[in-house]
Amino acid sequence: MHPGPFRYHRAASLEEAAVMLQQLGEDARPLAGGQSLVPLMKLRLAGPTDLVDLAFVPGLSYVRHEDDGGEIRFGALTRHAEIADSGAAARFPILHDCAAGIGDVQVRNRGTIGGSVAEADPSGDWAPVLLTHVTEIRCVGPGGERTVALRDFILDAYTTALGPGELVREIVMRAPPHEDGERIGGAYIAAKRCAQVYATASAAVRLTLAGDVCRDVAIYLGAVALTPVEVTAAAEALRGRALTRETIEAAADAARSGGDPQPDMRGSAEYKCALATALVKRAIEIAARRARGEQVEVSHEYA
Amino acid sequence: MTEEQKTVAKSPGSNRWVGQSVARKEEARLLRGQGKFVDDYRLQGTLHVKFVRSAYAHARIASIDVEQARNAPGVAVVLTGAEVAKLVQPFIEIGPDPGGKILDYPMAVDKVHFQGEPVAAVVAESIEAAEDAAELARVDYESLPAVVDAEEALTDGSVLHPSSGTNLVWQGEFEYGDVDGAFSKAAHVIEIDRLHFHRFSSTPLENNVVIAQWDASDNQIYFWCNNSFPAFAIQFLSPALGVGIDQIHFQSHDIGGSFGIKITNYPYMAVCALASRACGGRPVKWVETRTEHMTASAHGNERTFRDTRVALDGDGVITAIESRHIDDCGAYPRYEPLGCIIWAQVLPGAYRVQNMRIHFSQAVTNKCPVGPNRGYSRMQHLWFLERVIDICGHRLGIPADEMRLRNYIKSSEMPYTTPNGCVYDSGDYAAMQRIAKDLIGWDEWQSKIAEARRQGRLIGIGIGTTLDSGTNNFGQSQIINPRAPYSGQSEGANVKLDIYGEIVVSIGSVPQGQGHETTAAQVVADVLNVHPDMVKVRPGFDTDRNVHTGHSGTYASQFAVTGLSAVHGAAAKLKSELSRLASFALGANEDDLEFGVGTQGPEVKDNKSGKSINYWGLANLVNVNNAGLPPDLDVTLNCRYVYRAPFKVPDIQRKYGNLTLTYAAQLHIAVIEIDRETYIPKILGYVAVDDCGRVVNPAIVRGQVFGATAHGIGAALYEDCRYDEAGNLLASTFSDYIPITALNMPRIRYGHLESPSPFSYNGAKGMGEGGAAPVHTVCAALQDALWSSGVIVKDSHNTADSVFRALSTLGLDRGQGLGARD
Ligand SMILES: Cc1cc2nc3c(=O)[nH]c(=O)nc-3n(C[C@H](O)[C@H](O)[C@H](O)COP(=O)(O)OP(=O)(O)OC[C@H]3O[C@@H](n4cnc5c(N)ncnc54)[C@H](O)[C@@H]3O)c2cc1C
Repeated sequence: MHPGPFRYHRAASLEEAAVMLQQLGEDARPLAGGQSLVPLMKLRLAGPTDLVDLAFVPGLSYVRHEDDGGEIRFGALTRHAEIADSGAAARFPILHDCAAGIGDVQVRNRGTIGGSVAEADPSGDWAPVLLTHVTEIRCVGPGGERTVALRDFILDAYTTALGPGELVREIVMRAPPHEDGERIGGAYIAAKRCAQVYATASAAVRLTLAGDVCRDVAIYLGAVALTPVEVTAAAEALRGRALTRETIEAAADAARSGGDPQPDMRGSAEYKCALATALVKRAIEIAARRARGEQVEVSHEYA
Repeated sequence: MTEEQKTVAKSPGSNRWVGQSVARKEEARLLRGQGKFVDDYRLQGTLHVKFVRSAYAHARIASIDVEQARNAPGVAVVLTGAEVAKLVQPFIEIGPDPGGKILDYPMAVDKVHFQGEPVAAVVAESIEAAEDAAELARVDYESLPAVVDAEEALTDGSVLHPSSGTNLVWQGEFEYGDVDGAFSKAAHVIEIDRLHFHRFSSTPLENNVVIAQWDASDNQIYFWCNNSFPAFAIQFLSPALGVGIDQIHFQSHDIGGSFGIKITNYPYMAVCALASRACGGRPVKWVETRTEHMTASAHGNERTFRDTRVALDGDGVITAIESRHIDDCGAYPRYEPLGCIIWAQVLPGAYRVQNMRIHFSQAVTNKCPVGPNRGYSRMQHLWFLERVIDICGHRLGIPADEMRLRNYIKSSEMPYTTPNGCVYDSGDYAAMQRIAKDLIGWDEWQSKIAEARRQGRLIGIGIGTTLDSGTNNFGQSQIINPRAPYSGQSEGANVKLDIYGEIVVSIGSVPQGQGHETTAAQVVADVLNVHPDMVKVRPGFDTDRNVHTGHSGTYASQFAVTGLSAVHGAAAKLKSELSRLASFALGANEDDLEFGVGTQGPEVKDNKSGKSINYWGLANLVNVNNAGLPPDLDVTLNCRYVYRAPFKVPDIQRKYGNLTLTYAAQLHIAVIEIDRETYIPKILGYVAVDDCGRVVNPAIVRGQVFGATAHGIGAALYEDCRYDEAGNLLASTFSDYIPITALNMPRIRYGHLESPSPFSYNGAKGMGEGGAAPVHTVCAALQDALWSSGVIVKDSHNTADSVFRALSTLGLDRGQGLGARD
């Protein structure tokens, strides 16, 4: 359980890191919290020749949000634990649901949001959550800066739109457009066999309520396909309707066939579909209560 | 009661410390991170091993090319399995033919039999260099069909080990009483086609670690290793390596858990020793990784129970059980086929059933070899019996508590002789049930459950009764193999006064967290009437201390009986020497002497004259100031005592005799609700009641009960060494194998009963294995929750997924896991 030989570099800025990575070639990799990359190296499933450590680049760890609730910016090196403790997470509980439930304490203290989106693990928690909002990835590469919508950023399992040497600088998450008086609520629930294991299935829901009517909604499933799945059929079952037991159940039911999960030790494909349905239902209910101003604490399901 | 089971005289000494929750001596170093584990040893010139392992479950090694690895930087030597085979004899097989013909070498020779089996060892200056070089080894495999199911292994015509010619390791018929008569008179006969106890393991915090040094100058082999039964390991290593037992030195200090899994790490010890010899006697170290541990150390036994028939009378009392049990021991027997008899220590479980016929067989499969995992062989059988009780109870409409009361052996019948001649020393299962029901609030739960079910919730309550038989009689090995040269049970200890009068204790056991240093000190403190802090107990095990016996180790729930009896005997011997010596020194009559602690520490005092002599004075007289000591005062103050358990060799033909000395019991109750949407089983209430006779240290016993309970809940709901059909282990890391963590643990209420054993000097019984009580209990509660839905709990491992599949395929018995009720 020791990685093969590699060279270790520290970058002083992201721009420098991008240049270093480009020059070191395609077997060089940036290192953030190391919580995905290092385990792979220890198992010798990854064997980079060079690691460019981003941890010493100043100014990449922050959570900024404007008080009008419009926009939240996460520095790429912001650790999950910092996000869980941030004011933004207090304000947007879906962020807390996600950040506080990733892995265990050590993983949350080391792992970063930038590393998570760059890793694009099919079972990663951040992507489904961020996708329920309007999220953009600000990248910096040898050719300069660009901004990519998260939905265009994740191309496949473990595959992103990042080009050679290109790095994630910032993640910008915005509440979707809404009218005065409309209220937004979100919730994220994952079912995990235990803390250190990725989700068996997860559901992220963001609702925009006008009174009792669901004016807008986004529902994403995690861990049940190669990339997060937007279940539009489930959203359609709610959009424009009052949230009742029937409409919520209809939405959850529509989510059943949304995924295309692989059977593994976490569960059979059929079970994961059933589980996703249950999680969607719970997440809708909690998101709705939060939209109505209730404080609802969510814990993942551990089993 | 058989004649050999004489009640043992009670201890004459005081009982001041035994029975108290004396703080563990081990804690100070362990909590400060100052424990000394094998990996902490840094020996000059140490080389490091990386094993090249098979990715295949079953394959012929067509060719193996290690030239590049040999030439890689830092590599000292590379040994292939075929090269090692030329240097050693195959390991002893405990069983007779056909299993006895299996050739088990330290590494695969021409064929691999399980995924992860080592095929070569790369030895280098650093572990990194060894790992880099290991990647350069080229092994060509010709894949062979894998057999992962024991029943198939016995019927599909395949042969994993050509030397034996069959996949059958051992089989035998265990028949007692009049089974056919009981069936012909039965009011009810209940049949259960298949039950299955799954594979799981123990995941000790510390994996296997070996340092071996084969010193050419004196042809001695030194091992620093965390093997938990070294007396047994060296008996395997000596003939394999062609050296005398006395040439093998074995040392351990702290061990981060074993649970029996480390008993069979001796193949790795052999490779490290050979590598050391090949490298001119440099120490060779192997530190197992977690993935290696999961794939290729040892798993617990998997067992399938076939064609079970149960005869009951009109009151639901079981009169006969007939069944076929097929045990899966993985690729090599190693400690097996002992498991083919160990279960018979608890043949009828806690029940009075007199007539039993069990055909027991064991097969090899292309999976990791098994090792004696906590609750070894008995838990599989006890789980089977608990399923029988629950399924019969549900069928006949008799509640779980009542069903058990009607069948339990009664406390008035103790000591109770089982149909196969085992003697249950003491116990009161009905009383344990009462305590557990009170603690959980049985009656309130009954009404809450009834109400919840009216609302459509899936909720159930279940009982698990289990026995933790301890201090085994190795004579049972002769039922397996009449030529096996083992019987009885023993443990050794040494108590001495060192030159400055320190009380120093050495024990033959191999503690891995059970607090032996503490309880041994408690016993000595009582004998000598001193404080346990005044007793120094040497940590760990060391052959060179010369206290151990051929049975020494920590396994089979026995330290409280064997270890402490040995310590007690040695302390009593020392006391009698001290008494003679003090009588000379003080000119006193031995009858007037009193042992205690004076102003100058531990001392012996003459009550007549008031004069006393402290331990320093006594030790000084013998060791360094002995001119004038009378020649007939033959004392050494260095006293070894061997405790031998009072056993006979069982009757091999009848498979009859006493197989264990003490029977601790566990009675657990769980309330479980299955979420109707996520299917996740949640434990709403959990009670663990234990009875291990006289308790030597309540805090340690509690710790063992809680640990065993966590382990068992983990096994029931999370931990599963599952293989796919090609023999790939699907749970080789902690992302897929889920050892239980605090997040998954329910709150445990703890209760306790004390039925002293008449067969141990202190009334204690061995404990610590817990008999996998939670596996039985969780299954019982799930069964109760699911009975009305038509599901029968047929597997010891149940997850949200398996509950989901059982409920969604109702009416279609898929023959796996939970099945529909037939
Ligand atoms: C035991 C354990 C349990 C876990 N459980 C969960 C879980 O439940 N849910 C979950 O979501 N995650 C889980 N994780 C993963 C964790 O969230 C990681 O933090 C995350 O996947 C990667 O972040 P990192 O900062 O550690 O990235 P690293 O491991 O350092 O890097 C990951 C990948 O991203 C690249 N990279 C890193 N930063 C950047 C950047 N700024 N720009 C471009 N590329 C970059 C690296 O080169 C590498 O390829 C778990 C990890 C462990 C070890």
